Amino acid sequence: MKFQPIDLAAAGLRPDKRASVYQSTKATHEKRTKLLFEQYNDPDQLRRWAGEVKQHAIENLDAYLPAVEAKLKANGAQVHWASTAESACQQVLKIMRARGATKMVKAKTMVSEEIELADYLGRHGIEALETDLGEFIVQIDHDHPSHIVRPIIHKNRREIARSFEREGLGAYNDDPQTITSRARQFLRHKYLAADVGLTGANFVSAESGRMVLVTNEGNSRFCLAATKCHIALIGIEKIVPRDYDLALLLNLLGRSGTAQELTVYTEFITGPKTAEQPDGPEEMHVIFVDNGRTDVLESDCREILRCIRCGACLNVCPVYRQASGHAYRSVYPGPVGAVLSPLLEGKHGFAKKADLPKASSLCGACHEVCPVNIPIPDLLLRLRNRANQEGIASPGTPPMGAWALLASQPLAWRTALVASQVMNHLPTNLLPIPALRAWQEERVLPEWRGGKFRQWMSQRRKAK
Amino acid sequence: MNEEREQIMMRVRRALSPIQERAALPRYDSEMVVQRAMLAGRDRVELLAERMQRVNGQLFTDVHALVAHLSAQGWKHGYCDPVLWPALAVHFQGFTVELEFDRTRVDDYAFGITRAAGAIAESGTIVLNDTTTSRRLAALTPWVHVAVVERATIFLDVPAAIAGLGPDRNVIWCTGPSKTADVEGILIEGVHGPGVQLALVV
Amino acid sequence: MLNQGRTPITGQRVQLMATCLCDAFYDDVAAATVEVLEHLGQEVIFPEGQTCCGQPAFNGGDWDASRKVVRHTVRTFAGDLPVIVPSGSCAAMLSHGAALEFEKEKDLGEIVALGRRTWELADFIVNGLGVKAWPGRYDATVAFHRSCHSRGTGSGEAATALLESIAGVTLRPFGEGEQCCGFGGTFAVTFPHISAAMGDLKLEHIRAVQPDVLVSADMSCLMHLGGLATKEGQPIKTLHLAQVLRDALKKSGAA
Repeated sequence: MKFQPIDLAAAGLRPDKRASVYQSTKATHEKRTKLLFEQYNDPDQLRRWAGEVKQHAIENLDAYLPAVEAKLKANGAQVHWASTAESACQQVLKIMRARGATKMVKAKTMVSEEIELADYLGRHGIEALETDLGEFIVQIDHDHPSHIVRPIIHKNRREIARSFEREGLGAYNDDPQTITSRARQFLRHKYLAADVGLTGANFVSAESGRMVLVTNEGNSRFCLAATKCHIALIGIEKIVPRDYDLALLLNLLGRSGTAQELTVYTEFITGPKTAEQPDGPEEMHVIFVDNGRTDVLESDCREILRCIRCGACLNVCPVYRQASGHAYRSVYPGPVGAVLSPLLEGKHGFAKKADLPKASSLCGACHEVCPVNIPIPDLLLRLRNRANQEGIASPGTPPMGAWALLASQPLAWRTALVASQVMNHLPTNLLPIPALRAWQEERVLPEWRGGKFRQWMSQRRKAK
Repeated sequence: MNEEREQIMMRVRRALSPIQERAALPRYDSEMVVQRAMLAGRDRVELLAERMQRVNGQLFTDVHALVAHLSAQGWKHGYCDPVLWPALAVHFQGFTVELEFDRTRVDDYAFGITRAAGAIAESGTIVLNDTTTSRRLAALTPWVHVAVVERATIFLDVPAAIAGLGPDRNVIWCTGPSKTADVEGILIEGVHGPGVQLALVV
Repeated sequence: MLNQGRTPITGQRVQLMATCLCDAFYDDVAAATVEVLEHLGQEVIFPEGQTCCGQPAFNGGDWDASRKVVRHTVRTFAGDLPVIVPSGSCAAMLSHGAALEFEKEKDLGEIVALGRRTWELADFIVNGLGVKAWPGRYDATVAFHRSCHSRGTGSGEAATALLESIAGVTLRPFGEGEQCCGFGGTFAVTFPHISAAMGDLKLEHIRAVQPDVLVSADMSCLMHLGGLATKEGQPIKTLHLAQVLRDALKKSGAA
């Protein structure tokens, strides 16, 4: 029996890691649900509206992108465009070299993970330091984030304490308060010495060109208070039509992601600082990144571009809870990742990650919690069909051709139903269908009673 | 660079061209995101105090109480926006307060007192912008941030605060102290920004 | 909202879709469904040509194969009578899944029409016929597993309302009731480790409330959970909602 890669990853996950992922995703999910339903009469209506707002935005990017570009330029920002990861990295490097800059502090941005910016800059002699506590720990460990919002959900305090000791950040101490204050001390001097602050953006308003950045730690604010140059890497799908829409989206983002009414720091930026303000960037660059997004826009799964990266679908997903994030082999794990990651690989790379959409019982919990109401199960199904159409092999998946033939010929079906009673007398390892053998690995198969109901029904009819 | 812009725009247009009917912008009232029942009939300052407390911030309306609090915690050295200082100086006897913020000595300041552009009662949020906040760093790097909020600038709810963002190039909403739950989901305050967020309403 | 686009119930004749699972393993569930519908004054017609709703291939990604089966189902259930199915999963396949895989097909209209007159059993009783309480008696503490395919439909609430209304039934809610049992069709065999782990977690929550019987409106979930429990040497009693409703009419209990 061949197993799916994500199932194997789950089977091999250390029990303590699984327990910690399960506990914290469950706790966040429960707090999220309580908050939304206690405070709002109809949170589902809010999710539907937010979904419609974002769907409208992505389906009108041809108008909104030039509009936002014009606003940003008028506000004094320089606007750049990057089709690929490579181009985005090169453009960041070019901006830095033009300033003679060698040190960057980075706020958490998923796009920068996606294009592997920090590694690229490192190879070109630039120190690009992660400042989000979780991302900082991922960086010093040469690890990968395993959750969109909680990058080190897979690590415990003892592992972190050992990493800090190894990096010269003090003697072993696994108290989370101590770990945090050591990072605070170390990083604040890094911000102050840095030349460039790099951030993403959670939303950009087409109406005003206003970029919105949210963090709980205040690290993006520190990047934008200490450095003289701001580079924002923004996926082209981050645009929202109006400032008005931000109240709806911010309220949903905080509640859905971390069960907060609002994330602690919500920063609205329209351009570089003015002369009166001593702190902050005098120069601002916005790089709009495609890197596969236009392929997604062209696909029948474009709804996934509504995603606001809150992580609620990861938290509720029973498969994510068993497998954790690294199982998805992608920057974006969980249900959203199972749709987005294979698509971002582009037309020719899809096969590499075509197994991800299979990693779902299609239970629909992700759709139910999504703040922008993305029908994730429908998209997973479309991608499964695409994989099938492209002839991509899928370990363990039973072939359906013969079954479909049988299930569209009633006579053959009825005969098979009765004949299959023979299975009751076969030992497990002799069962004629691999799927049934696989079933028996974990569970007992009930007694085969094919045809009994039909018999009962026809007798009942005769009796009447 | 322009070539790449054209390439992306072309791909966007190509991707969108088969869509027969594009999704309309929904008509909705952002009033739906407001917890109106909680806000109705409440005094804004009282409400702000209550909601700040919920996110582990603290509001003062009496400068003596604020000074006593700072003193009791041993936070005796800080920065103050020079515009605010003439009115506050008399209350800060025995404190070392600098009116110029020196970024090479960020660890010296236990507190930073700056003006806020406003607040949001519903969410317990302090609103800062570049015009009213003398230094971004002074409101961020000290362990304690004291935001001086004028009563008349308090928005009742989040949509009102969005509508009132104004022309400032940089506006930041601070809802409680800086926090993280990255280590085992345990809440720790004061990661990069203040560990203590206070407001003085005048 | 729930009945939006649904064909309202006017007559007293229905077609029964027994489901392939009941056809193969759970004849008593299909029989109970018939008895329950007849108790409600419905004449039950069983189209002999029926096979499966097409879901296995749909979920597996082989939509060509699935469409073949769905088309057969549409032919088999011709007419305009309500189609009653003792499974939230098969009902969802016909009312939602099939429409998705037929999006670009010429016969989408026929598929949608069948979906509109297809009802999961509890949904039909409560939201279709307007029957809110169930007579008879059934002495048991019951844990009800709301299957995932009834998310966003009226089925889950309908089933719990019916169960709660039965004299003698004590409904015991259990932890993480909204979570999936881990069945998921072919998922159960292609992701056996995750599927079993999900099932074990569900069983743990269920066992914690010590029910006499675990009830669901989907035999697929029960086949998985019951099969896991038996394999582990700690079998649990499982019943379909239709069986409980029928047994209540006969005033018998679980014990």
